[in-house]
Amino acid sequence: MTGERRFERIAIVAEPARTLRGLLWHRFLEHRVAVGSLVALVAFVLLALAAPLVETALGLDATRVDLLAVKLPPSAAHPLGTDELGRDLLLRLLYGGQISLMVGLAAALGAAVIGTAVGLLAGYYGGAWDALLMRLTDGVIALPILPLLIVLAAIDLSKLGLPDSLVTSENASLYRIIGLIALVGWTTVARLVRGATLATKAREFVRAAEALGASHTRIMLVHILPNVVSPVIVATTLSIGNIILLESVLSFLGLGIQPPVPSWGNMLTNAQELIWEAPVLAVYPGLLIFVTVIAFNFLGDGLQDALDPRAIKA
Amino acid sequence: MIRYITQRLAESLIVLFVMSFVIYALIGLMPGDPVDLMINANPRATAEDAARLRALYGLDRPIGERYLAWLGAALQGDLGYSRLHSRPVLEVLWPRLGNTAALMGISFILAIALALPFGIVAALRPRTTTDTSINLIAFAGISIPPFWLAILLIILFAVVLGWLPAGGMPPSNAGFGVSATYLVLPVATLTIVTVGGIVRFIRAAMIEALRQDYVRTAWAKGLGERQVVLGHVLRNAMIPVVTILALNFGALFSGALITETMFGYLGMGKTIYDAILGNDFNLALVGLLLATATTLLANLAADLCYTWLDPRITYR
Amino acid sequence: MRARLTTLLCAVILSLSTATMARAAELKIGLSQFPSTLNPQIDSMLAKSYVLAMTQRPITAYDQDWNLICMLCVELPTLENGQAKLETLPDGRQGIAVTYRLQPDATWGDGTPVTSADMVFTWEAGLHPKSGFTNFETFRRILAIDVIDDKTFTLHNDRVTFDYNSLQLDLLPAHVERPIFETDPAAYRNRTAYDRDPTNPALAFGPYRIVEVVSGSRIVLEPNSTWSGPAPAFDRITVQVIENTAALEANLLSGAIDMIAGELGLTIDQALAFEKRQGGRYTFIYKPGLIYEHLDLNLDNPILADRRVRRALVYALDREALNNTLFGGKQPVARSSVSPLDWIYDPNVPTYPFAPDRADALLKEAGWIPGSDGIRQNAAGERLTIELMTTAGNRTRELVAQVLQSQWRELGIDARIRNEPARVFFGETVSKRKFTGAAMFAWLSSPENVPRTTLYSDQIPTAENNWAGQNYTGFKNAEMDSLIDAIEIELDRDKRKALWSRLQRLYAEELPVIPLYWRAEAYVLPKWLKGVRPTGHQGTTTLWVEEWQAEAH
Repeated sequence: MTGERRFERIAIVAEPARTLRGLLWHRFLEHRVAVGSLVALVAFVLLALAAPLVETALGLDATRVDLLAVKLPPSAAHPLGTDELGRDLLLRLLYGGQISLMVGLAAALGAAVIGTAVGLLAGYYGGAWDALLMRLTDGVIALPILPLLIVLAAIDLSKLGLPDSLVTSENASLYRIIGLIALVGWTTVARLVRGATLATKAREFVRAAEALGASHTRIMLVHILPNVVSPVIVATTLSIGNIILLESVLSFLGLGIQPPVPSWGNMLTNAQELIWEAPVLAVYPGLLIFVTVIAFNFLGDGLQDALDPRAIKA
Repeated sequence: MIRYITQRLAESLIVLFVMSFVIYALIGLMPGDPVDLMINANPRATAEDAARLRALYGLDRPIGERYLAWLGAALQGDLGYSRLHSRPVLEVLWPRLGNTAALMGISFILAIALALPFGIVAALRPRTTTDTSINLIAFAGISIPPFWLAILLIILFAVVLGWLPAGGMPPSNAGFGVSATYLVLPVATLTIVTVGGIVRFIRAAMIEALRQDYVRTAWAKGLGERQVVLGHVLRNAMIPVVTILALNFGALFSGALITETMFGYLGMGKTIYDAILGNDFNLALVGLLLATATTLLANLAADLCYTWLDPRITYR
Repeated sequence: MRARLTTLLCAVILSLSTATMARAAELKIGLSQFPSTLNPQIDSMLAKSYVLAMTQRPITAYDQDWNLICMLCVELPTLENGQAKLETLPDGRQGIAVTYRLQPDATWGDGTPVTSADMVFTWEAGLHPKSGFTNFETFRRILAIDVIDDKTFTLHNDRVTFDYNSLQLDLLPAHVERPIFETDPAAYRNRTAYDRDPTNPALAFGPYRIVEVVSGSRIVLEPNSTWSGPAPAFDRITVQVIENTAALEANLLSGAIDMIAGELGLTIDQALAFEKRQGGRYTFIYKPGLIYEHLDLNLDNPILADRRVRRALVYALDREALNNTLFGGKQPVARSSVSPLDWIYDPNVPTYPFAPDRADALLKEAGWIPGSDGIRQNAAGERLTIELMTTAGNRTRELVAQVLQSQWRELGIDARIRNEPARVFFGETVSKRKFTGAAMFAWLSSPENVPRTTLYSDQIPTAENNWAGQNYTGFKNAEMDSLIDAIEIELDRDKRKALWSRLQRLYAEELPVIPLYWRAEAYVLPKWLKGVRPTGHQGTTTLWVEEWQAEAH
């Protein structure tokens, strides 16, 4: 494919005038795989949220232990079978999806926001700010997560002034994990954004804007940010899968989402010892994680193309 | 440039000092101490035993005091004894450092060697079947939890096929060849889980770079694909890639905890993990500070690389 | 002629060497933990006891039938055979002088005999405030040692208890360790030859000695030439440490190890699953141990202070079904803290079978009526909610907690699960009595272990006494106190058994603790390995490693 042909195709397809938002949306829609991924993810989210409905439809209780019905294959009563305590697998996967998707999204977005802010400031202002912020980043990278998690697990949250209902709720471990991952996970994005900011800052159009007297904030948000967003998108979409898996590792170490709350991560960990007798208990959550990873990453690709003003349609 | 490097090194030392205190405090803040666990496991131990042991190990002194004691000794070169291994800290760490260097080093190089060509090819043929397949394989790699991959590899290659050892360290009298077989599965596990991420970054960076104006000019001038890529694009795409590689390299000395546990491989990851959980302050501190130092140096190298890759970047 | 003689000689030599080569058997044992130190007196890890049992023996030990036997001593000293004598101490209390005679043939690997000097050194080092020995109390109770000769000594103990002649002590070789200790007692635990020079033959007098240590990975042992007992069958034993249990299985299947030690190996459900798949290839032994899995109840909680509620909680649990489904029936339901294998066990103590009707009746009697959402409420409108805590990351416990929660919910009891990592759980929550409801964990004990620290009223940890004591439930019962006091000093076996029966009965009636089950150990052995006999208590199978035999394979 030579350059000439590319130019040809762009010239021929004349587009009607659109608003910026319409342009973005239109370009996104052309990215078929990304659209497919968006549909899949929305479907997952809806299914996960519909878990209580499925529960009543099946007439089951997601948390009821039935020692006489452990590790059953699929049947009319249990569409996907039961787990090692006789609980319905489909329901646990759905409820687990709620948790895993929430953890993945919330933590990744939180980390992305913090990281972008830090990286932009460091790269743009340079000098002492850069040194301070980047050394702080280095320090956070070097922080051992394990003792941090254990210490956090031990802190009596009610002493910090948080309401009692939050502290003793079954989701306490959930909020703790999201908070922690966001607080230590922003470092990659920060480094990426800083690197890209350094490169962008040196370019002509930024210097032009500076010469024209644009304010720092304007330059950062309007000129630099859109150009550094590409690696951020990749890093963030990549990190969602990583975070869901990190939760699995945390369960391995006893610091993940606490039972009886299911998550794809802790279902994977629990299934590890049952690899021979009931491999499906691992295959289902594993597959769901796989599809989620694919979907988020392709979605990220679509976003990347849509946001890039110079995207060439193939 | 020299001034910049010296400045950075000085800053790094400050970070190391600060981190040493933060880590010490963090470990000290962890509830429960090893004496508790010792007492629980022994039906004959009494509360008096516990109190006496705590005083002996200095666990009843305040954190600040213990930290300063450690710092004083460390600055004189005495890094102390590891309580968990009953031998000097350096004696414990030295061989494990080597093991980790071998494991992570080989995986790192292998991952880059695989990711570069695949990432570039995927970027040059966006949204074709080639691209999608490469992406899917990359996703598969990063979606598998490491402990699952490890156990599957062990079952396949050690149990079913019997080609490779299931884990552990090679016998002391083993030659190079035999020792190498003990590395194959751990390296494979690590490479598979990391290569996918690197492929994605290289691909994204390349796509971004391929859209630059000067590339259009190159196409327009009729330059072949290879010339454009190798001559112009690759260099400019490398900035985010260098960032990621530096971050991964920094993780080199904290090791790969899960892989080491599954394969019984004596590396830094498991050593530091056990040291933290076992309140082995001396060992945990030195290990973690080593990891911090590596991160700092790797990021410094990355920053220097930026200026080389893109001459327009300067540091004020 | 000469050629024929030479051939004959060669044939004889060859056949002799093949005969010896046929004995060249190797055993590779898989263990899930590596000892932090090999010194018998520092730290108390089961992994260390497992390995040390092959290189040296304690003075006395409990055997597979839970009888006290002599290992390093020749004969158990008793009041009956005159080797033990009561005596009055200067302050008027009753003490006892116990005389031990060491095995005449016991010799350390470098030829030095095991003597009373080793006992004296171990005791002196143990008493030293800076030595860091774990069982300080044991040493403190010995007021003085009379050395009668190289192999005989008398201990003067400061109190008379029924186990006066039990001395489960591993001696330190004085000729190796004393110089190290006296150079700097405070640094002894970092300089002990057991860790700095573990392959020193002088550290072993048992059937094996350590020849190689790869810290964190493996320990290799070979027969000790100075051992005078039955010759061990294996020329080489490798203890391979693999911490991940799934990897342990894989290593066994691939032949990297021959057996998995039950003391530190697979969990019961893993072993059961493994047996289902590979049962034909290996021998599986399940031995319930002295590991008492239970629920400590915080008796300060007004809900749990009511005995009827505690009894109802137990009636509501189908512990037999739990055992059968999750553990294949291998972990017998516990009735109290006394094991059925202990001679003091009383089978006539009241039990609590699964009886939801009785639970319901008791709860109603206590004023707990089911509310609109199924959870019971009392007259004041409070819900019957209790917190159920256990160690996070322990899959089996997490599963059991969920089963308990579900079974209690059937009776309108709302149990909230809140798990914590082990160090938080033991270090803070349990030891400082911060749990408000039920805490699930296990007690490890020994044969005829008197539950003073767990049930005596002055052993409740509080801020005032610096959290000393293990009476986490807060149990205060005058009769229990007096029973404990009486048992400790009762020398007559029959009278003692009666006291123990009364203790078990009281325990079952008062229920400060909900007994769950006795954890079993799963031994996975190759078909050709014979002679491994699990004890069911903390004594490891390796204390009798010279009895293990390898059939031809």
